[in-house]
Amino acid sequence: MKFLFKTDYEDDIRLFPHSGYLWTYGTLLILIAAAPHFLSSYLVSQLVFVSIYAIVGVALLILTGFTGQASLGHAAFLAIGAYTTAYLQQFGVPFPVYFLTAGLLTGIIGAIVGFPALRLHGIYLVIATISFALIVEEILARWESVTHGNEGLRVKTIQMLGTTVPRDSPGFYYLCMGVLIFVILGAINLLRSPTGRAFVAIRDSETAAKSMGINVSLYKVKSFAISAAITGLAGCLFAHKLSFISPEMFTLQLSIEFIMVILIGGAFSLHGAVLGAIFIVMVDPFLTFLKDDIPGAIANLSLLLGAGAERAAAIEKSSAAFASANGLKGAIYGFLIMAFILFEPLGLYGRWLKIKLFFQLFPLYKRATFKRQKIYVKSERNR
Amino acid sequence: MSKSFKAFGLAIGALALTQMPALAQTKVTDQGISAGEIVLGSHQDLSGPIKSWGVPVANGMKMAADELNAAGGIQGRKIKLIVEDSGYDPKRAVLASQKLIEKDKVFAMVGPMGSPTVLAAQDILFDAGVLQLFPLTAAEFTYKFDAAKPQERLKFNNLLPYVESTRAAVKYLIESKNLKKPCIMHQDDEYGKNVLDGFTQQVAAMKIPAASVTSYKRGVSDFSAQVAKMKSDGCDIVVLGTVVRETIGAMVEAKKLGWDVIFLGATPTNVLEVPALGKEAVEGLYAASGFEIPYEDTAKGKVKDWLANYKKAYGTDANTQAIIGYNVIMTFAHYANKAGKDFNGKKMLDALESGDVFQDIFSSPPTKFSNSNHLATTITQVQQVKSGRWVLMKDSLSF
Repeated sequence: MKFLFKTDYEDDIRLFPHSGYLWTYGTLLILIAAAPHFLSSYLVSQLVFVSIYAIVGVALLILTGFTGQASLGHAAFLAIGAYTTAYLQQFGVPFPVYFLTAGLLTGIIGAIVGFPALRLHGIYLVIATISFALIVEEILARWESVTHGNEGLRVKTIQMLGTTVPRDSPGFYYLCMGVLIFVILGAINLLRSPTGRAFVAIRDSETAAKSMGINVSLYKVKSFAISAAITGLAGCLFAHKLSFISPEMFTLQLSIEFIMVILIGGAFSLHGAVLGAIFIVMVDPFLTFLKDDIPGAIANLSLLLGAGAERAAAIEKSSAAFASANGLKGAIYGFLIMAFILFEPLGLYGRWLKIKLFFQLFPLYKRATFKRQKIYVKSERNR
Repeated sequence: MSKSFKAFGLAIGALALTQMPALAQTKVTDQGISAGEIVLGSHQDLSGPIKSWGVPVANGMKMAADELNAAGGIQGRKIKLIVEDSGYDPKRAVLASQKLIEKDKVFAMVGPMGSPTVLAAQDILFDAGVLQLFPLTAAEFTYKFDAAKPQERLKFNNLLPYVESTRAAVKYLIESKNLKKPCIMHQDDEYGKNVLDGFTQQVAAMKIPAASVTSYKRGVSDFSAQVAKMKSDGCDIVVLGTVVRETIGAMVEAKKLGWDVIFLGATPTNVLEVPALGKEAVEGLYAASGFEIPYEDTAKGKVKDWLANYKKAYGTDANTQAIIGYNVIMTFAHYANKAGKDFNGKKMLDALESGDVFQDIFSSPPTKFSNSNHLATTITQVQQVKSGRWVLMKDSLSF
């Protein structure tokens, strides 16, 4: 096991605490860069969706994971980013300009939404953000001169530096990954700055934060604005990836998916956003693959175990019928999520940390390591 | 000198001639076609908000494929149909389309479900040269194409569009009953907007002002305010841009107020569920429709057998949705047969555009495409609910 001796404050805030990080993240970066060259565009497309969901995941982590403000309105922020993109594009605005405008405008709206949040906590804040999302959905459907209402808007291919970047090209994939990496680095930087530390202080105890001289209202609004702005950037990419947007795409369901990204990934670390996004986006196609391949595999297995050819064919047929039953995927999906919330509240990243520690400390690993030592009393009165 | 110059010019000219048609040529894939098989793909909503459409459509498609295969397939090639669930989510529709193209190597996308889902995945199909045949959305983008963009020629639709069918039905009822105050109540989404457009265009063309226009948000179940408003506006016909539950809800409300008015539903109201669930409340409802809904006890010949087979295979009565799904595959098979023994993508496209007429077993208006028209038909019928059944009132309507 590696021990890090920190002798300086610089050691504490370093981006790569030791050389091992450089190796692992360097390899990951090479894999990401090489991916479009050896993966089919179906898989690359999934990775693009993963990166878009991960960007929203990072945004939501900043707000929910680090500032402690829940939101079920992020689909609306995504919609604002997407519609800004589609609207400005009509006037020939270049990609970098409308990309940044999408982020900026969404950030401003996020700050405005942040104001009522100053007086709301927990479930009440969730209700407020849901109503915000519903209002946005309604505006998108009604403001026909800008949004084309329920007919939706076509989004053209990105034009940049004299070339087009089609949504299925490696170029678009690199763009999404680049934005994701930039957002993650930005978030890491933010979290080790005074602002980020103020966020964490507010999450842990508002009273304590206030007594330390933190302007709670200011930082809450800031957190909302930053989170919304990042989601707005993701919205721009999302619009380009789908090439068509309409109000019915940005529903409460999507906001719930985003919350699930961080719940499943782990709401205490930025790794969680990426792992959660991989889970949410890729489980469904993965189950589709299983549906296609498992019945054949089961039949082969039963042949090996000595079943006759006829029997094996019957087994293949019945397992195929079971695997393609409507709603089976939804059930598996729901079951996995329930299992996570019940048995692994720290999410995928929490599980990874535990596995890593298990091997590092083997055979001395104690399950109690991850038990919370101190239970804070959380009530409406003493926050 | 001048001779070689001439030769050079000829060579350039010849080169230009070979290149020119290539520029305007539509690329159609040949993947998924083998000696014994044609692979077709589709994405349906099997678990989402419109699964009451997706599931029977998928059943109808499977049934058609099984029937064709049992009869020896298309010129000896069996149909392999792969259906993916999109859950009415454009993201999943995009991924499903890519999976079908790349992993399953489908030759064509047949009967994909829903407007946002079809639109989000459309370009992916065209880039791969995969035909998009008969999607389950009557929106314009599924058949209107730009001749300058060759890949757009890959889309065909055989569904009756909402705008045209609403116009034809509104025209027929207003003229035949001499109505003066037309009104509309429509769902607040893309579908409702289409019905509203059809209504608005038709009353404008007939120079009759709309007496009342009201809407509702998808999912609500109370229509008392809308119906009361339309009653006070003195409507003599109410056009409904509704689906099943809302149609019944609006008519129950009118009955409650003792308001006797003509109701005319758009094509999605012309399904068995409306009279089955609405009972006497929907008596007298008119609806625009594409074909007659068969009933088991009055159906004859092929249709009767078909109804019995469907019930045997899926344990429920066949409905409009199942017929549409069935027809998707049957229409494909008709044109694939016409494309001939040495079937390929180019031949299929030519067969579709040949102007050959396909007639289904349900006596729908005939399906016919050309190289400038990729929409099968706009011929509309008007049906009415009489003692709990849809009855044909007038066919061969247009505006």
